[in-house]
Amino acid sequence: MTAAPKPLSQVPTIARAPAWVSVANAHAPEDLAFHSGAALAHLHGVSVFDGLPQALWRARLALCAAESCVKLVGRQERAADLRDAVCLLRPGDHPGPAGAVFQQWTRAVSRPISDASLTRALPGLTADQIRVSLAGQGSGSPVARAAMVLQAVLTDAPQAETAALILADAALAKALGWDHVLPLLALGLKPRDLRQRDDDLRQACYRALVMAAGQAVGLAADLTRRAAHLRAVAPKLRAKGAEQAVALFLTRDALAPSILAKDLQAGMSDRAARRLCDRLVDLGAVRELTGRDSFRLYGV
Amino acid sequence: MMDRSDSPHHQFTNRRGEAGQTRASTLRPDRIVAPPDAPEFDRDLADLPPEVRWRMWMRRIEAVLFASASPVSRENLARVVGPGASVDLLIEDLAADLAERPYDVARVSTGWVLRTKVAYAPVIRAAADVNGQGLHLSQFDIAVLAAIAYHQPITREGLKDIFGKDISRELIGRLAERDLIATGPRAPRRGAPYTFVTTDVFLVAFGIETLRDLPDREQLADAGLAAP
Repeated sequence: MTAAPKPLSQVPTIARAPAWVSVANAHAPEDLAFHSGAALAHLHGVSVFDGLPQALWRARLALCAAESCVKLVGRQERAADLRDAVCLLRPGDHPGPAGAVFQQWTRAVSRPISDASLTRALPGLTADQIRVSLAGQGSGSPVARAAMVLQAVLTDAPQAETAALILADAALAKALGWDHVLPLLALGLKPRDLRQRDDDLRQACYRALVMAAGQAVGLAADLTRRAAHLRAVAPKLRAKGAEQAVALFLTRDALAPSILAKDLQAGMSDRAARRLCDRLVDLGAVRELTGRDSFRLYGV
Repeated sequence: MMDRSDSPHHQFTNRRGEAGQTRASTLRPDRIVAPPDAPEFDRDLADLPPEVRWRMWMRRIEAVLFASASPVSRENLARVVGPGASVDLLIEDLAADLAERPYDVARVSTGWVLRTKVAYAPVIRAAADVNGQGLHLSQFDIAVLAAIAYHQPITREGLKDIFGKDISRELIGRLAERDLIATGPRAPRRGAPYTFVTTDVFLVAFGIETLRDLPDREQLADAGLAAP
Protein backbone atom coordinates (compact mmCIF):
# COMPACT_ATOMS: atom_id res chain seq x y z
CA MET A 1 0.00 0.00 0.00
CA THR A 2 1.33 3.36 -0.92
CA ALA A 3 1.33 6.25 1.53
CA ALA A 4 1.31 8.87 -1.18
CA PRO A 5 -2.03 10.50 -1.86
CA LYS A 6 -3.58 9.29 -5.03
CA PRO A 7 -3.54 11.87 -7.75
CA LEU A 8 -6.95 13.39 -8.21
CA SER A 9 -7.47 11.67 -11.52
CA GLN A 10 -7.35 8.23 -9.90
CA VAL A 11 -9.93 8.96 -7.23
CA PRO A 12 -13.38 7.92 -8.44
CA THR A 13 -15.53 11.00 -8.61
CA ILE A 14 -19.20 11.68 -8.20
CA ALA A 15 -20.92 12.82 -11.35
CA ARG A 16 -23.40 15.65 -11.35
CA ALA A 17 -26.97 15.01 -12.40
CA PRO A 18 -27.58 15.52 -16.12
CA ALA A 19 -27.77 19.19 -17.01
CA TRP A 20 -31.40 18.90 -18.09
CA VAL A 21 -32.41 18.28 -14.46
CA SER A 22 -33.15 21.88 -13.63
CA VAL A 23 -35.96 24.05 -12.37
CA ALA A 24 -35.32 26.31 -15.38
CA ASN A 25 -36.51 23.49 -17.65
CA ALA A 26 -39.74 22.99 -15.77
CA HIS A 27 -42.61 24.90 -17.27
CA ALA A 28 -45.71 23.01 -16.18
CA PRO A 29 -46.46 21.71 -12.68
CA GLU A 30 -45.93 18.10 -13.74
CA ASP A 31 -42.51 19.07 -15.15
CA LEU A 32 -41.39 20.08 -11.65
CA ALA A 33 -42.47 16.70 -10.28
CA PHE A 34 -40.53 14.97 -13.04
CA HIS A 35 -37.37 16.97 -12.44
CA SER A 36 -37.47 16.49 -8.67
CA GLY A 37 -37.94 12.75 -9.20
CA ALA A 38 -34.92 12.65 -11.47
CA ALA A 39 -32.87 14.70 -9.01
CA LEU A 40 -33.78 12.44 -6.08
CA ALA A 41 -33.05 9.27 -8.06
CA HIS A 42 -29.62 10.62 -8.94
CA LEU A 43 -29.07 11.67 -5.33
CA HIS A 44 -29.93 8.16 -4.21
CA GLY A 45 -27.09 6.81 -6.32
CA VAL A 46 -24.74 9.42 -4.90
CA SER A 47 -25.75 8.63 -1.31
CA VAL A 48 -24.46 5.07 -1.63
CA PHE A 49 -21.24 6.08 -3.42
CA ASP A 50 -18.35 4.09 -2.02
CA GLY A 51 -15.95 6.82 -0.94
CA LEU A 52 -18.54 9.25 0.39
CA PRO A 53 -18.13 9.99 4.11
CA GLN A 54 -21.85 9.74 4.77
CA ALA A 55 -21.96 10.93 8.38
CA LEU A 56 -19.84 13.96 7.55
CA TRP A 57 -21.99 14.70 4.52
CA ARG A 58 -25.14 14.65 6.64
CA ALA A 59 -23.47 16.74 9.35
CA ARG A 60 -22.50 19.42 6.82
CA LEU A 61 -25.94 19.42 5.27
CA ALA A 62 -27.35 19.72 8.79
CA LEU A 63 -25.26 22.86 9.22
CA CYS A 64 -26.63 24.30 5.97
CA ALA A 65 -30.16 23.35 7.02
CA ALA A 66 -29.69 24.93 10.45
CA GLU A 67 -28.38 28.08 8.83
CA SER A 68 -31.45 28.39 6.63
CA CYS A 69 -33.76 27.68 9.58
CA VAL A 70 -32.04 30.40 11.58
CA LYS A 71 -32.42 32.81 8.66
CA LEU A 72 -36.03 31.79 8.37
CA VAL A 73 -36.80 33.08 11.86
CA GLY A 74 -35.03 36.36 11.09
CA ARG A 75 -31.89 35.79 13.16
CA GLN A 76 -28.51 37.14 12.14
CA GLU A 77 -26.33 34.11 12.90
CA ARG A 78 -24.64 32.33 10.00
CA ALA A 79 -22.94 28.94 9.65
CA ALA A 80 -19.74 30.06 11.38
CA ASP A 81 -21.69 31.34 14.39
CA LEU A 82 -23.64 28.09 14.62
CA ARG A 83 -20.42 26.11 14.60
CA ASP A 84 -18.97 28.31 17.33
CA ALA A 85 -22.10 28.02 19.45
CA VAL A 86 -21.95 24.24 19.41
CA CYS A 87 -18.17 23.73 19.49
CA LEU A 88 -17.57 26.24 22.30
CA LEU A 89 -20.45 25.01 24.40
CA ARG A 90 -19.48 23.56 27.74
CA PRO A 91 -21.59 21.03 29.62
CA GLY A 92 -24.48 22.63 31.46
CA ASP A 93 -24.51 25.80 29.37
CA HIS A 94 -27.30 26.76 27.00
CA PRO A 95 -26.53 26.73 23.26
CA GLY A 96 -28.55 29.88 22.63
CA PRO A 97 -31.40 30.09 20.12
CA ALA A 98 -29.30 29.56 16.99
CA GLY A 99 -27.04 26.91 18.51
CA ALA A 100 -30.15 25.04 19.64
CA VAL A 101 -31.40 24.86 16.05
CA PHE A 102 -28.06 23.41 14.90
CA GLN A 103 -28.07 20.90 17.76
CA GLN A 104 -31.57 19.84 16.79
CA TRP A 105 -30.54 19.19 13.19
CA THR A 106 -27.36 17.42 14.26
CA ARG A 107 -29.36 15.15 16.54
CA ALA A 108 -31.85 14.45 13.79
CA VAL A 109 -29.26 13.38 11.20
CA SER A 110 -26.85 11.49 13.43
CA ARG A 111 -29.02 8.49 14.26
CA PRO A 112 -30.97 6.19 11.97
CA ILE A 113 -34.56 7.30 11.52
CA SER A 114 -36.84 5.87 14.19
CA ASP A 115 -39.80 7.13 16.20
CA ALA A 116 -37.61 7.16 19.30
CA SER A 117 -34.66 9.06 17.82
CA LEU A 118 -36.88 11.74 16.33
CA THR A 119 -38.93 12.07 19.48
CA ARG A 120 -35.68 12.89 21.24
CA ALA A 121 -34.61 15.32 18.54
CA LEU A 122 -37.98 17.08 18.38
CA PRO A 123 -39.18 17.71 21.93
CA GLY A 124 -41.75 20.22 20.69
CA LEU A 125 -43.72 17.57 18.78
CA THR A 126 -45.76 14.73 20.18
CA ALA A 127 -44.74 11.10 19.77
CA ASP A 128 -48.03 10.53 17.94
CA GLN A 129 -47.33 13.31 15.48
CA ILE A 130 -43.93 11.80 14.72
CA ARG A 131 -45.21 8.25 14.43
CA VAL A 132 -48.01 9.23 12.07
CA SER A 133 -45.69 11.39 9.96
CA LEU A 134 -43.14 8.64 9.54
CA ALA A 135 -45.75 5.96 8.90
CA GLY A 136 -46.59 7.88 5.72
CA GLN A 137 -50.26 7.00 5.67
CA GLY A 138 -52.20 7.42 2.52
CA SER A 139 -50.97 7.31 -1.02
CA GLY A 140 -48.94 9.85 -2.87
CA SER A 141 -45.33 10.30 -3.83
CA PRO A 142 -42.64 10.67 -1.17
CA VAL A 143 -42.52 14.39 -1.89
CA ALA A 144 -46.29 14.75 -1.57
CA ARG A 145 -46.13 12.96 1.78
CA ALA A 146 -43.32 15.18 3.02
CA ALA A 147 -45.31 18.25 1.96
CA MET A 148 -48.30 16.93 3.89
CA VAL A 149 -46.18 16.47 7.01
CA LEU A 150 -44.81 19.99 6.64
CA GLN A 151 -48.28 21.43 6.27
CA ALA A 152 -49.69 19.44 9.20
CA VAL A 153 -46.98 20.56 11.63
CA LEU A 154 -47.10 24.19 10.48
CA THR A 155 -50.89 24.29 10.71
CA ASP A 156 -50.64 23.19 14.33
CA ALA A 157 -47.72 25.41 15.23
CA PRO A 158 -46.88 28.07 12.62
CA GLN A 159 -43.68 29.02 14.47
CA ALA A 160 -42.27 25.49 14.58
CA GLU A 161 -40.50 25.73 11.21
CA THR A 162 -37.38 23.88 12.31
CA ALA A 163 -39.30 20.96 13.77
CA ALA A 164 -41.60 20.90 10.74
CA LEU A 165 -38.71 20.83 8.28
CA ILE A 166 -36.83 18.14 10.20
CA LEU A 167 -39.92 15.97 10.34
CA ALA A 168 -40.71 16.59 6.65
CA ASP A 169 -37.15 15.69 5.63
CA ALA A 170 -37.41 12.59 7.84
CA ALA A 171 -40.69 11.59 6.21
CA LEU A 172 -39.15 12.11 2.77
CA ALA A 173 -36.07 10.06 3.64
CA LYS A 174 -38.18 7.28 5.10
CA ALA A 175 -40.43 7.19 2.03
CA LEU A 176 -37.35 7.00 -0.19
CA GLY A 177 -36.02 4.06 1.82
CA TRP A 178 -33.08 5.88 3.38
CA ASP A 179 -31.84 5.03 6.89
CA HIS A 180 -30.99 8.58 7.91
CA VAL A 181 -32.55 12.00 7.62
CA LEU A 182 -30.95 13.96 4.80
CA PRO A 183 -31.61 17.70 5.12
CA LEU A 184 -33.04 18.73 1.74
CA LEU A 185 -36.35 20.56 2.01
CA ALA A 186 -34.81 22.80 4.65
CA LEU A 187 -32.12 23.79 2.16
CA GLY A 188 -34.39 24.63 -0.71
CA LEU A 189 -37.61 26.06 0.72
CA LYS A 190 -37.95 29.82 0.99
CA PRO A 191 -39.75 31.58 3.85
CA ARG A 192 -42.71 32.38 1.64
CA ASP A 193 -42.93 28.74 0.52
CA LEU A 194 -43.73 27.74 4.09
CA ARG A 195 -46.85 29.88 3.99
CA GLN A 196 -48.16 27.97 0.97
CA ARG A 197 -50.72 25.18 1.28
CA ASP A 198 -51.67 22.01 -0.55
CA ASP A 199 -50.81 22.08 -4.27
CA ASP A 200 -48.73 25.25 -4.00
CA LEU A 201 -46.71 23.83 -1.12
CA ARG A 202 -46.14 20.58 -3.01
CA GLN A 203 -44.92 22.52 -6.05
CA ALA A 204 -42.59 24.52 -3.81
CA CYS A 205 -41.25 21.25 -2.39
CA TYR A 206 -40.57 19.86 -5.88
CA ARG A 207 -38.71 23.03 -6.78
CA ALA A 208 -36.79 23.05 -3.49
CA LEU A 209 -35.72 19.44 -3.93
CA VAL A 210 -34.30 19.97 -7.41
CA MET A 211 -32.11 22.72 -6.01
CA ALA A 212 -31.26 21.01 -2.73
CA ALA A 213 -30.38 17.72 -4.43
CA GLY A 214 -27.97 19.61 -6.69
CA GLN A 215 -26.40 21.25 -3.67
CA ALA A 216 -26.16 17.94 -1.80
CA VAL A 217 -24.53 16.23 -4.80
CA GLY A 218 -22.01 19.05 -5.14
CA LEU A 219 -21.14 18.77 -1.47
CA ALA A 220 -20.91 14.98 -1.72
CA ALA A 221 -18.46 15.26 -4.62
CA ASP A 222 -16.35 17.78 -2.72
CA LEU A 223 -16.32 15.78 0.53
CA THR A 224 -15.56 12.53 -1.29
CA ARG A 225 -12.50 14.14 -2.84
CA ARG A 226 -11.35 15.61 0.48
CA ALA A 227 -12.04 12.39 2.38
CA ALA A 228 -9.99 10.41 -0.15
CA HIS A 229 -7.10 12.76 0.47
CA LEU A 230 -7.47 12.52 4.25
CA ARG A 231 -7.55 8.74 4.10
CA ALA A 232 -4.51 8.77 1.85
CA VAL A 233 -2.40 10.86 4.23
CA ALA A 234 -3.61 9.00 7.33
CA PRO A 235 -0.76 6.43 7.21
CA LYS A 236 1.78 9.27 7.44
CA LEU A 237 0.52 10.29 10.85
CA ARG A 238 2.62 9.01 13.71
CA ALA A 239 0.53 10.31 16.62
CA LYS A 240 -1.14 7.77 18.83
CA GLY A 241 -4.85 7.81 18.15
CA ALA A 242 -4.36 9.40 14.75
CA GLU A 243 -6.40 6.71 13.05
CA GLN A 244 -9.33 7.37 15.31
CA ALA A 245 -8.90 11.11 14.86
CA VAL A 246 -9.20 10.65 11.11
CA ALA A 247 -12.35 8.62 11.65
CA LEU A 248 -13.78 11.45 13.78
CA PHE A 249 -12.96 14.02 11.12
CA LEU A 250 -14.86 11.85 8.66
CA THR A 251 -18.02 12.02 10.77
CA ARG A 252 -18.09 15.52 12.31
CA ASP A 253 -18.61 18.87 10.69
CA ALA A 254 -15.99 20.58 12.85
CA LEU A 255 -13.75 19.70 15.78
CA ALA A 256 -11.95 21.83 18.31
CA PRO A 257 -8.66 20.21 19.33
CA SER A 258 -9.92 20.02 22.91
CA ILE A 259 -13.03 18.13 21.78
CA LEU A 260 -10.89 15.87 19.63
CA ALA A 261 -8.64 15.13 22.62
CA LYS A 262 -11.64 14.36 24.80
CA ASP A 263 -13.38 12.13 22.29
CA LEU A 264 -10.40 9.95 21.50
CA GLN A 265 -10.46 6.70 23.43
CA ALA A 266 -6.71 6.39 23.13
CA GLY A 267 -6.34 9.56 25.16
CA MET A 268 -4.45 12.57 23.87
CA SER A 269 -3.44 15.84 25.46
CA ASP A 270 -4.93 19.08 24.16
CA ARG A 271 -1.47 20.01 22.95
CA ALA A 272 -1.00 16.79 21.05
CA ALA A 273 -4.47 17.18 19.53
CA ARG A 274 -3.59 20.72 18.45
CA ARG A 275 -0.35 19.48 16.87
CA LEU A 276 -2.21 16.72 15.06
CA CYS A 277 -4.72 19.22 13.68
CA ASP A 278 -1.91 21.52 12.50
CA ARG A 279 -0.16 18.59 10.88
CA LEU A 280 -3.35 17.64 9.05
CA VAL A 281 -3.70 21.21 7.85
CA ASP A 282 -0.08 21.15 6.61
CA LEU A 283 -0.85 17.97 4.73
CA GLY A 284 -3.88 19.65 3.20
CA ALA A 285 -6.17 17.00 4.67
CA VAL A 286 -8.29 19.22 6.90
CA ARG A 287 -8.96 22.95 6.96
CA GLU A 288 -8.98 25.44 9.77
CA LEU A 289 -12.51 26.73 9.53
CA THR A 290 -12.58 29.96 11.53
CA GLY A 291 -9.57 31.98 10.37
CA ARG A 292 -8.88 32.79 14.03
CA ASP A 293 -5.58 32.49 15.88
CA SER A 294 -7.19 30.94 18.91
CA PHE A 295 -10.30 28.84 19.50
CA ARG A 296 -9.65 27.27 16.16
CA LEU A 297 -11.96 24.72 14.65
CA TYR A 298 -10.92 22.09 12.15
CA GLY A 299 -12.87 20.13 9.60
CA VAL A 300 -12.55 18.27 6.31
CA MET B 1 -44.50 14.93 42.93
CA MET B 2 -44.82 18.07 44.94
CA ASP B 3 -42.50 18.78 47.75
CA ARG B 4 -44.38 17.54 50.82
CA SER B 5 -43.14 20.35 52.98
CA ASP B 6 -45.11 22.74 50.85
CA SER B 7 -48.65 22.59 52.17
CA PRO B 8 -51.49 23.53 49.82
CA HIS B 9 -52.13 26.52 52.03
CA HIS B 10 -48.61 27.77 51.60
CA GLN B 11 -49.02 27.54 47.85
CA PHE B 12 -52.23 29.43 47.97
CA THR B 13 -50.60 32.36 49.68
CA ASN B 14 -48.06 32.35 46.92
CA ARG B 15 -50.64 32.30 44.26
CA ARG B 16 -50.86 35.93 43.34
CA GLY B 17 -49.94 36.47 39.78
CA GLU B 18 -49.76 39.63 37.85
CA ALA B 19 -51.76 39.27 34.70
CA GLY B 20 -49.85 37.52 31.97
CA GLN B 21 -47.33 36.33 34.50
CA THR B 22 -46.98 33.35 36.71
CA ARG B 23 -46.04 33.05 40.33
CA ALA B 24 -42.39 33.88 40.45
CA SER B 25 -41.73 32.47 43.89
CA THR B 26 -43.20 28.98 43.64
CA LEU B 27 -41.43 25.74 42.98
CA ARG B 28 -39.36 25.05 39.92
CA PRO B 29 -40.45 22.07 37.82
CA ASP B 30 -37.23 20.16 38.43
CA ARG B 31 -38.11 20.15 42.09
CA ILE B 32 -41.65 18.98 41.75
CA VAL B 33 -40.90 15.95 39.58
CA ALA B 34 -39.93 12.82 41.41
CA PRO B 35 -37.20 10.61 40.03
CA PRO B 36 -38.87 8.22 37.61
CA ASP B 37 -38.07 5.19 39.74
CA ALA B 38 -39.93 6.39 42.81
CA PRO B 39 -43.58 7.07 42.03
CA GLU B 40 -45.52 7.54 45.24
CA PHE B 41 -48.81 7.61 43.42
CA ASP B 42 -50.79 5.44 41.03
CA ARG B 43 -50.11 6.61 37.49
CA ASP B 44 -52.50 4.27 35.71
CA LEU B 45 -55.59 4.56 37.94
CA ALA B 46 -56.74 1.33 36.35
CA ASP B 47 -59.56 0.83 38.86
CA LEU B 48 -61.34 4.03 37.88
CA PRO B 49 -63.88 4.30 35.07
CA PRO B 50 -62.28 5.92 31.98
CA GLU B 51 -63.99 9.32 32.32
CA VAL B 52 -63.16 9.69 35.98
CA ARG B 53 -59.60 8.60 35.28
CA TRP B 54 -59.26 11.17 32.50
CA ARG B 55 -60.55 13.97 34.76
CA MET B 56 -58.16 12.83 37.46
CA TRP B 57 -55.25 13.08 35.03
CA MET B 58 -56.41 16.54 33.98
CA ARG B 59 -56.48 17.61 37.63
CA ARG B 60 -52.98 16.27 38.17
CA ILE B 61 -51.65 18.23 35.24
CA GLU B 62 -53.41 21.31 36.53
CA ALA B 63 -51.88 20.73 39.98
CA VAL B 64 -48.38 20.39 38.58
CA LEU B 65 -48.76 23.52 36.46
CA PHE B 66 -50.28 25.37 39.42
CA ALA B 67 -47.32 24.55 41.61
CA SER B 68 -44.67 25.42 39.07
CA ALA B 69 -43.41 28.90 38.30
CA SER B 70 -41.69 27.92 35.08
CA PRO B 71 -42.99 25.96 32.09
CA VAL B 72 -43.40 22.22 32.58
CA SER B 73 -42.47 20.07 29.61
CA ARG B 74 -44.63 17.40 28.03
CA GLU B 75 -42.14 14.80 29.17
CA ASN B 76 -42.46 15.83 32.80
CA LEU B 77 -46.23 16.05 32.63
CA ALA B 78 -46.37 12.58 31.11
CA ARG B 79 -44.94 11.18 34.35
CA VAL B 80 -48.07 11.90 36.35
CA VAL B 81 -50.58 10.36 33.93
CA GLY B 82 -50.98 6.89 32.44
CA PRO B 83 -48.20 5.88 30.01
CA GLY B 84 -50.58 5.79 27.03
CA ALA B 85 -52.38 9.05 27.78
CA SER B 86 -51.81 11.98 25.43
CA VAL B 87 -50.63 15.00 27.40
CA ASP B 88 -51.67 17.24 24.53
CA LEU B 89 -55.26 16.00 24.60
CA LEU B 90 -55.36 16.29 28.38
CA ILE B 91 -54.11 19.88 28.14
CA GLU B 92 -56.65 20.63 25.44
CA ASP B 93 -59.46 19.38 27.69
CA LEU B 94 -58.01 21.22 30.65
CA ALA B 95 -57.92 24.44 28.62
CA ALA B 96 -61.59 23.97 27.67
CA ASP B 97 -62.34 23.29 31.33
CA LEU B 98 -60.68 26.54 32.35
CA ALA B 99 -62.58 28.66 29.84
CA GLU B 100 -64.69 30.24 32.59
CA ARG B 101 -61.78 30.63 35.02
CA PRO B 102 -59.69 33.82 35.34
CA TYR B 103 -56.58 31.90 34.32
CA ASP B 104 -55.66 29.63 31.45
CA VAL B 105 -53.03 27.22 30.20
CA ALA B 106 -50.42 28.93 28.07
CA ARG B 107 -47.96 27.20 25.78
CA VAL B 108 -44.44 28.50 26.26
CA SER B 109 -41.49 27.24 24.30
CA THR B 110 -41.68 23.48 24.84
CA GLY B 111 -43.90 23.45 27.91
CA TRP B 112 -46.99 24.87 29.57
CA VAL B 113 -47.78 27.23 32.43
CA LEU B 114 -50.90 28.49 34.16
CA ARG B 115 -51.36 32.20 33.70
CA THR B 116 -53.94 34.72 34.87
CA LYS B 117 -55.87 36.18 31.94
CA VAL B 118 -54.80 39.62 30.83
CA ALA B 119 -58.30 41.04 31.42
CA TYR B 120 -57.76 40.66 35.15
CA ALA B 121 -54.58 42.73 35.21
CA PRO B 122 -56.14 45.90 36.72
CA VAL B 123 -58.05 43.88 39.31
CA ILE B 124 -54.95 42.00 40.39
CA ARG B 125 -52.88 45.14 40.53
CA ALA B 126 -55.53 46.90 42.62
CA ALA B 127 -55.83 44.27 45.30
CA ALA B 128 -52.87 41.91 45.30
CA ASP B 129 -49.39 42.60 46.49
CA VAL B 130 -47.82 41.73 43.16
CA ASN B 131 -44.84 43.96 43.75
CA GLY B 132 -43.82 41.69 46.58
CA GLN B 133 -43.16 38.92 44.12
CA GLY B 134 -42.49 40.79 40.93
CA LEU B 135 -39.15 40.64 39.22
CA HIS B 136 -37.71 43.47 41.32
CA LEU B 137 -35.77 44.81 38.39
CA SER B 138 -34.84 48.37 37.69
CA GLN B 139 -35.46 49.95 34.35
CA PHE B 140 -31.79 49.59 33.53
CA ASP B 141 -31.88 45.90 34.49
CA ILE B 142 -34.74 45.46 32.05
CA ALA B 143 -32.83 47.35 29.37
CA VAL B 144 -29.86 45.01 29.79
CA LEU B 145 -32.20 42.03 29.73
CA ALA B 146 -33.71 43.32 26.49
CA ALA B 147 -30.25 43.77 25.00
CA ILE B 148 -29.41 40.18 25.90
CA ALA B 149 -32.70 38.99 24.42
CA TYR B 150 -32.04 40.73 21.11
CA HIS B 151 -28.31 40.11 20.84
CA GLN B 152 -27.87 36.71 22.44
CA PRO B 153 -25.47 35.03 22.82
CA ILE B 154 -23.67 38.12 24.09
CA THR B 155 -20.81 38.69 26.54
CA ARG B 156 -20.51 41.42 29.18
CA GLU B 157 -18.02 43.01 26.82
CA GLY B 158 -20.68 43.06 24.10
CA LEU B 159 -23.16 44.64 26.50
CA LYS B 160 -20.59 47.25 27.38
CA ASP B 161 -20.36 48.16 23.69
CA ILE B 162 -24.11 48.61 23.56
CA PHE B 163 -24.53 50.66 26.75
CA GLY B 164 -21.22 52.49 26.70
CA LYS B 165 -20.43 51.43 30.23
CA ASP B 166 -19.56 48.33 32.21
CA ILE B 167 -22.47 46.09 33.11
CA SER B 168 -21.86 44.99 36.66
CA ARG B 169 -21.59 41.37 37.68
CA GLU B 170 -24.32 42.05 40.25
CA LEU B 171 -26.75 43.08 37.54
CA ILE B 172 -26.01 39.93 35.53
CA GLY B 173 -26.29 38.00 38.81
CA ARG B 174 -29.74 39.49 39.50
CA LEU B 175 -30.99 38.39 36.09
CA ALA B 176 -29.43 34.93 36.46
CA GLU B 177 -30.84 34.52 39.98
CA ARG B 178 -34.33 35.01 38.59
CA ASP B 179 -33.57 32.44 35.89
CA LEU B 180 -34.24 35.06 33.22
CA ILE B 181 -30.82 34.45 31.67
CA ALA B 182 -28.39 31.54 31.58
CA THR B 183 -24.83 31.07 30.43
CA GLY B 184 -24.42 30.27 26.76
CA PRO B 185 -21.45 29.08 24.69
CA ARG B 186 -18.09 30.68 25.48
CA ALA B 187 -17.06 33.52 23.23
CA PRO B 188 -14.01 32.73 21.10
CA ARG B 189 -11.99 35.50 22.69
CA ARG B 190 -9.17 35.82 25.21
CA GLY B 191 -10.20 34.21 28.44
CA ALA B 192 -13.16 32.45 26.79
CA PRO B 193 -15.74 34.71 28.48
CA TYR B 194 -19.24 33.45 29.05
CA THR B 195 -22.01 34.61 26.79
CA PHE B 196 -25.50 35.09 28.15
CA VAL B 197 -28.76 33.86 26.67
CA THR B 198 -32.38 34.18 27.78
CA THR B 199 -34.32 31.27 29.23
CA ASP B 200 -37.85 29.90 29.07
CA VAL B 201 -38.57 31.73 32.31
CA PHE B 202 -37.82 34.95 30.44
CA LEU B 203 -40.43 34.05 27.83
CA VAL B 204 -43.00 33.31 30.54
CA ALA B 205 -42.26 36.47 32.49
CA PHE B 206 -42.83 38.61 29.43
CA GLY B 207 -45.71 36.59 28.11
CA ILE B 208 -44.20 35.60 24.78
CA GLU B 209 -44.05 32.18 23.22
CA THR B 210 -40.77 32.43 21.33
CA LEU B 211 -38.03 35.03 20.83
CA ARG B 212 -39.64 35.92 17.53
CA ASP B 213 -42.48 37.50 19.44
CA LEU B 214 -40.12 40.19 20.69
CA PRO B 215 -41.10 43.53 19.15
CA ASP B 216 -39.48 43.96 15.77
CA ARG B 217 -36.31 45.99 16.14
CA GLU B 218 -36.76 47.92 12.92
CA GLN B 219 -40.32 48.85 13.81
CA LEU B 220 -39.21 50.03 17.24
CA ALA B 221 -36.56 52.19 15.64
CA ASP B 222 -39.02 53.61 13.14
CA ALA B 223 -41.36 54.52 15.97
CA GLY B 224 -38.51 56.28 17.73
CA LEU B 225 -38.65 53.82 20.62
CA ALA B 226 -35.19 52.38 20.14
CA ALA B 227 -31.88 53.38 18.72
CA PRO B 228 -31.60 52.02 15.17
